[in-house]
Amino acid sequence: MHLNHGYAKRRRGRAFFLAAAVLGAALFAAQGADARNLKTSIPADPGQIDPITYSELVAGDILGNMYEGFTAITPEGKIRPALAESWEALPDNMGFTFKLRKGVKTHLGNEFTAEDVKATFEALLIPENKGGLNAGYLDVVEGAKDMKDGKTKTLAGVVVVDPYTVTIKFSKPDVLFPVYPFYFMDKTAMAGGAEGFLKASAGTGPFKFVKWDRGQNVTLAKHADYWGAKASVDGVEFLIVPNADTAVSMFEAKELDVVYVEQAALRRVMKTPELKELSLQAPAAQIRYLGMNQNLYAPFKDKRVREAICKSLDLDSMITGTLQGLALPLAGQITPGVAGYNASLKPIAFDAEGAKKLLAEAGFPDGKNMPPIKISSTDPNRNEILYFASQLKQVLNMPVEIEVVERGSFIKAMNAGEVPFFPWGWSAGYPDGMYFLSQVWYGPSPYNRARWKNAEFDALIEEAQKTADNEKRYALYNKAEEILVGEYGTCPTTVRIQVALQQPNVKGLALTAFRFLPFNSVSIQ
Amino acid sequence: MLTFIVKRVMGLVPVLLIAVILTFLANQAVPGDPIAALLSDRSGDAVLEARLRAAYGLDRPLLEQFISYIGGILSGDFGLSFRFAQMPVSQLIGEGLLITPLMALAALAIAFPLGVLLGTLAAIRQNSWVDTGIILVLVAGISIPNFAMATGLVYVFALQLRWLPVAGWGSVEQAIMPLTLLIIPTAAYIARLSRTYMLEVLRTDYIRTARAKGVPERVMLLRHALRNTMVPLLTTVGIILGGLLSGTFVVETIFNIPGLGSLAIQAIFARDYPVTMAIVLLFTAFYAGINLLVDLSYGLLDPRIRVGGGGR
Repeated sequence: MHLNHGYAKRRRGRAFFLAAAVLGAALFAAQGADARNLKTSIPADPGQIDPITYSELVAGDILGNMYEGFTAITPEGKIRPALAESWEALPDNMGFTFKLRKGVKTHLGNEFTAEDVKATFEALLIPENKGGLNAGYLDVVEGAKDMKDGKTKTLAGVVVVDPYTVTIKFSKPDVLFPVYPFYFMDKTAMAGGAEGFLKASAGTGPFKFVKWDRGQNVTLAKHADYWGAKASVDGVEFLIVPNADTAVSMFEAKELDVVYVEQAALRRVMKTPELKELSLQAPAAQIRYLGMNQNLYAPFKDKRVREAICKSLDLDSMITGTLQGLALPLAGQITPGVAGYNASLKPIAFDAEGAKKLLAEAGFPDGKNMPPIKISSTDPNRNEILYFASQLKQVLNMPVEIEVVERGSFIKAMNAGEVPFFPWGWSAGYPDGMYFLSQVWYGPSPYNRARWKNAEFDALIEEAQKTADNEKRYALYNKAEEILVGEYGTCPTTVRIQVALQQPNVKGLALTAFRFLPFNSVSIQ
Repeated sequence: MLTFIVKRVMGLVPVLLIAVILTFLANQAVPGDPIAALLSDRSGDAVLEARLRAAYGLDRPLLEQFISYIGGILSGDFGLSFRFAQMPVSQLIGEGLLITPLMALAALAIAFPLGVLLGTLAAIRQNSWVDTGIILVLVAGISIPNFAMATGLVYVFALQLRWLPVAGWGSVEQAIMPLTLLIIPTAAYIARLSRTYMLEVLRTDYIRTARAKGVPERVMLLRHALRNTMVPLLTTVGIILGGLLSGTFVVETIFNIPGLGSLAIQAIFARDYPVTMAIVLLFTAFYAGINLLVDLSYGLLDPRIRVGGGGR
């Protein structure tokens, strides 16, 4: 009797699984019959889905598919016209006149005109709206300060000449204004104040917002009246997958079409041949460097000490050992794929003997007399500081200890110039090398966390900000970079290689230095 | 009975108050300033920092913040999230509220009878291969950490056999693996206890008497033996629920389930104090509530323990 009982149980068990499998297969097949959306993942809920308060990376991935600026980038990383067909600098680069594209329809069905440009800029500057990342680029526009102080609600520096022409006047020269990644919004969405635009889909991009199920997904649908290459997929679903490993598993199970692989899962992807074959790689537009604050540690004041430190780092070993080979040694402070990159600059070569000699010449033979120092960073950079500390101790016998600090406090301390020795990075906000040089190494920049100052470098940057001609400006970047590296103002470390996975039936995906391009170029066979 | 219930419910208030105080203090003690986390790269902007601090009321003295928080809770307002601009915490939590406690209770509802069944089976066939076999399974179920089990389940059922989806929430198939992961250790634990209690009960005099009287084995088991193991077993339900709730933290993160567990983890990393505090309070209330129900149920099972009255 017991034997029969068990057998019946097993049969029922098998039947249950079979039923579940059939059910699953039926549901899966039914999905295929509906709209074919491109499925990808994001690591967290976006902080916001409007372009005004937009202030973080995940939101940017989504917004880039819905909103556009004056210009856009090609798969090769070059600038091309988007909502502006052409532009002309005002005398002395104190502004620009933009000729806008005609016949562009927004998601709300209205035609995009110069009024929308003005309305978007004003929305970004009104203090109550809590304007995010894009508001920073408007500081250079005439009248911006008055708006931020709440004295007025209109931006004096923006003049609507006619529906397709807008002139923007600056309070100081800025040649890069056209490449700033603005997200223009239909002005009618702004009518309701912050409440209105927080949930509207009012862009000109190839996809429009459909819904956001918090914790689950964000769904976009294709914009049928898009002015450019219309999307061939019906929409995009960004599934929220906090765990990097789960995202890769979902890709393997064909539940995702495209995945941007986060740090934690890179090793698995590189070690699995089937996944490696399906991967796309591109260097990220992100510099990494070793900051040495001369104000806080006396030996850093000596150029020989800094040179010794840079020469004792074996970046190739670090890349193979701790980064799965997914990085390149960085030569300067502009990365490949970003305008102004100097391909002829070579990374600082590993030279242990040379480094030891330099340190001895500087008065610290074999690390003697060097006060103890801590190299600090946040938890995700733990391996990196471990490597640096052990390498410096081994080669130079430098008294370095490691310190892992919580992110919020660390960034605050760095911004205040209180961290003596730290590896950090910086991602490009717009596609031009000026971003790195002016934000991280220009003397007065608030983000010059190592507090490195060089008058010649600063003069070159200021001149570059007034040089509209691209080639001439890039030459100035090169000169400035050579000074930075020649003086060993920092040790450039690595540039990360991004990895993305795409299913074999997905075509047309573009992974650039700036993550994915909008998905309207993607088709699923 | 009614006075008893009222007294016990009132007893929850100091428990919850202590929970709030402890969480509040813990959040303050943890290194990291939520405004610094919010500002991130822009933390050099003193004007912006001052504005944000004032907007969230973080520039007031601690005691004042605490009191205004308590006042808010009493009216259902748990404040605004630090992470999502303008989003009330109650809205964020409302979405997860339907998922996590339901998952925990569903897991308990399946694990409890399953565990009792396995434990009883092992007890009545003590030292036979049935007993040994079951014990091995139980030890594995309790010892293997849930994230290791999760990887194994996902590998076999989602990637190799393709029977179940890897992650997500909304369909029946998506609930199978997460629930299984919660059920296994719970059922294993209950089975172990159940087996021990059953062995004890089976040795008692009244069971021997019942057997001698000729009571059929099945009736004796159900009517007499099982009933007597229920009281100690139910006591553990409270503790088990605590384990289930913390189990949901891991399970929800692995399977992308938008419940309170994954929300809590994300909130902790983002220094989103209002959300963490609200979730701690909710879990405490839920846990205390279940324990109260368990206490009340004793009276139903064993007339000798009519709480508040006689046999104490």
